Amino acid sequence: MQVLLLNTKCECGHQNPVGTVLCESCGKPLAEPLDGNPGAPLEMRYDGVARRSQKANPDWLDRIWNFFSSVKVAVWLIVLTLIGASLGTIYPQEDTFLNMHTYQEFHDYYKEHYGTAGVVYHALGLSRVYSSWWFIGLLVMIGTSLVICSLDRVLPLYRALSKQQIRKHLQFITRQQVVYAGPAPADTEAWLAAFGKELKRRRYKVWRDGDALMAEKNRFSRWGPYINHIGLIIFLLAVLGRSVPVWNMDQYVSLDEGETEQIPGTNYYVKNEKFTVEYYTDDELPDSLKGTIRPKLFDTRATLYVCTANCDDPSKEPVLEPVKTHDIQVNHPLSYKGLRLYQYDYSPQPRIVSVSPRIIDKKTGEQYGPFTLPMRNPALTYRVGPYTLTLKDKFMDFGLDDQGRPMTKSRDPNAPAFVFLIQGPDLPATGETYIYFPREIDKARFQQDVLNRAIADKLDIRVLSMDDVVLSENTSTLNVRIDRAMPFVWVGAAIFMIGVAMGLYWHHRRIWLRFDGGTLSLGAHTNKNNYGLRMEVAAAMTKAGLPVSQQSLDNRRTSP
Amino acid sequence: MKRYRKPIQYVVLFLVLLIGGYAVGHSLFASSAVLKAGDQPPEFKLLALDGTVHESAEYAGQPLILNFWGTFCPPCRDEMPALQNVYEKWKDRGVQLVGINLSEDKLSVESFARQVGAHFPILLDRNRQTEKRFGLKQYPTTFFVYPSGKIEDIVIGGPLTEQQIEAHILKITGNGR
Repeated sequence: MQVLLLNTKCECGHQNPVGTVLCESCGKPLAEPLDGNPGAPLEMRYDGVARRSQKANPDWLDRIWNFFSSVKVAVWLIVLTLIGASLGTIYPQEDTFLNMHTYQEFHDYYKEHYGTAGVVYHALGLSRVYSSWWFIGLLVMIGTSLVICSLDRVLPLYRALSKQQIRKHLQFITRQQVVYAGPAPADTEAWLAAFGKELKRRRYKVWRDGDALMAEKNRFSRWGPYINHIGLIIFLLAVLGRSVPVWNMDQYVSLDEGETEQIPGTNYYVKNEKFTVEYYTDDELPDSLKGTIRPKLFDTRATLYVCTANCDDPSKEPVLEPVKTHDIQVNHPLSYKGLRLYQYDYSPQPRIVSVSPRIIDKKTGEQYGPFTLPMRNPALTYRVGPYTLTLKDKFMDFGLDDQGRPMTKSRDPNAPAFVFLIQGPDLPATGETYIYFPREIDKARFQQDVLNRAIADKLDIRVLSMDDVVLSENTSTLNVRIDRAMPFVWVGAAIFMIGVAMGLYWHHRRIWLRFDGGTLSLGAHTNKNNYGLRMEVAAAMTKAGLPVSQQSLDNRRTSP
Repeated sequence: MKRYRKPIQYVVLFLVLLIGGYAVGHSLFASSAVLKAGDQPPEFKLLALDGTVHESAEYAGQPLILNFWGTFCPPCRDEMPALQNVYEKWKDRGVQLVGINLSEDKLSVESFARQVGAHFPILLDRNRQTEKRFGLKQYPTTFFVYPSGKIEDIVIGGPLTEQQIEAHILKITGNGR
């Protein structure tokens, strides 16, 4: 819109700021489009006041300010952000993969799964859109635009609405979208009183200035959009706040049953007491899925501990105090002081936690024990009946290396083996070495009796029943999160909704009226629902004794 | 109001630069989970095989070699003699060589060290906490650290030979340039 910004002083004597469209005092149109129609309805946005930043000679600060103050710029920023955000949904984002970290690993992953498109996607950085500098930059610019747009408009609008002139310029009245012009009633004073009463009944506030009248209602709905913007700004700040490390943590902890582990970077420990998984029965599954294994519910009974002593001293065992036990299921996290533990995954992985074997004297058949032997951090000596067992070596996943030496293939108890030095009756005083495989299958595979040679004829170490074995059947993976920004996100969202409701469900309506000679001129304005306003005005005028129809008030149809 | 217009503009733009600058800067220079040459290695405080406690701060100002190893990893075993030789040769010249075991039982570690003849200081990680902080993916992984505390190089996999280790030592002691 080409605007004349030459003379800003109105004929009523009021000096208006540069960029004013309608005189701040009397409402006379000041800056008209060159190609405009002199009788067309007025542009009433922001009540015709100048945006704060509009200046004749902008400096560098004003130029930056003006850029962010533009709604056009704001719309472009939003469009670009939406495009960026949608690009990020084409393929999975990098941060959804727990086990990949390097550029090369991601490159290979996208190449393998999505071919050339994946390579391009990854190379363009679209695989990490939401944490990219340009996406964050766009969000920051939207935030800036929200603040500046609002400040630039809400302050002048507030000023304009809080000191309104009752008697408006005739042109201002006749060029509203709802207008009436007609002969004045005989007793203008009585008619004005009746009309004012009718408007008050419709919850208008009414002011009089001689024979001029102004009525207004629901002004507060004009603040709706700005309250909505405040909510959005809180929302955005909260989202940005998640990048502050103390506000946000996202970790994964994998636990066998009975295992306790420290949550990295915290003073908390978590123990997997028991993991249970239920599967759907065939009756519950549709035909196409019958016979397949479908988990129905998985549940980790977990206890959260807080370390109270020796937390930072690796030479001592930390002292743990239980603070909460909870059955963690999907969408039912364990929650403690802002820390949340979610069920993330599980994998069936049968492992021995501990065994309670007995020593059997093969000659007499006598049994000794049982003694408890945990797979992790076992005690080093055991006294069982007449025997003394000294643990000499331990292999979690027994195997032989390429030179035939015993070794462990991993650090998980997949095939545990214990090397004891046994002293006792019928054995040399220096003791004899005995290798013990808790799992029967390993015992046979590695030929325990052959390895143990002579001592294997004298005694046997074994569990008598499965009751003496503690098993972990599944490894449960928990997602540990701290998200302190979330309450602010909710507060922002709530304020946003309050703003939306204020702007949507109430409409700001104003009516101006004046008499010139024998003519009554009425103009009315609203920012929403002109029909409702016309109905209201027509009803009040009719009730006051000047019958008019709602259609006849519509200035948009009658003007050429 | 007009009086405050300029100050308000400055305050708003200052806040934008502060908050926005932090957010954008954070996304630009976010330290990835993966360590690389030039980074500072994470801190640790661990129990050694001999029962003493050692902290990363003790090694500040000295050239440092950190070797992460496990008894379950054949190349770890294979490079033990080379590490032991280098340790003996350089310990009097201020080069610190430390092995960090990957959260295995002390018993297994002791018995393994005895078998392979590793007598250099060995620290015991617990619950994989240190390993996670160092972002290890494969074993063995060896960090060569300048006295300034910056990583010179990270060698993933092995076994390393004495010559390879010494080439790095020359760099971190500053004799190779």
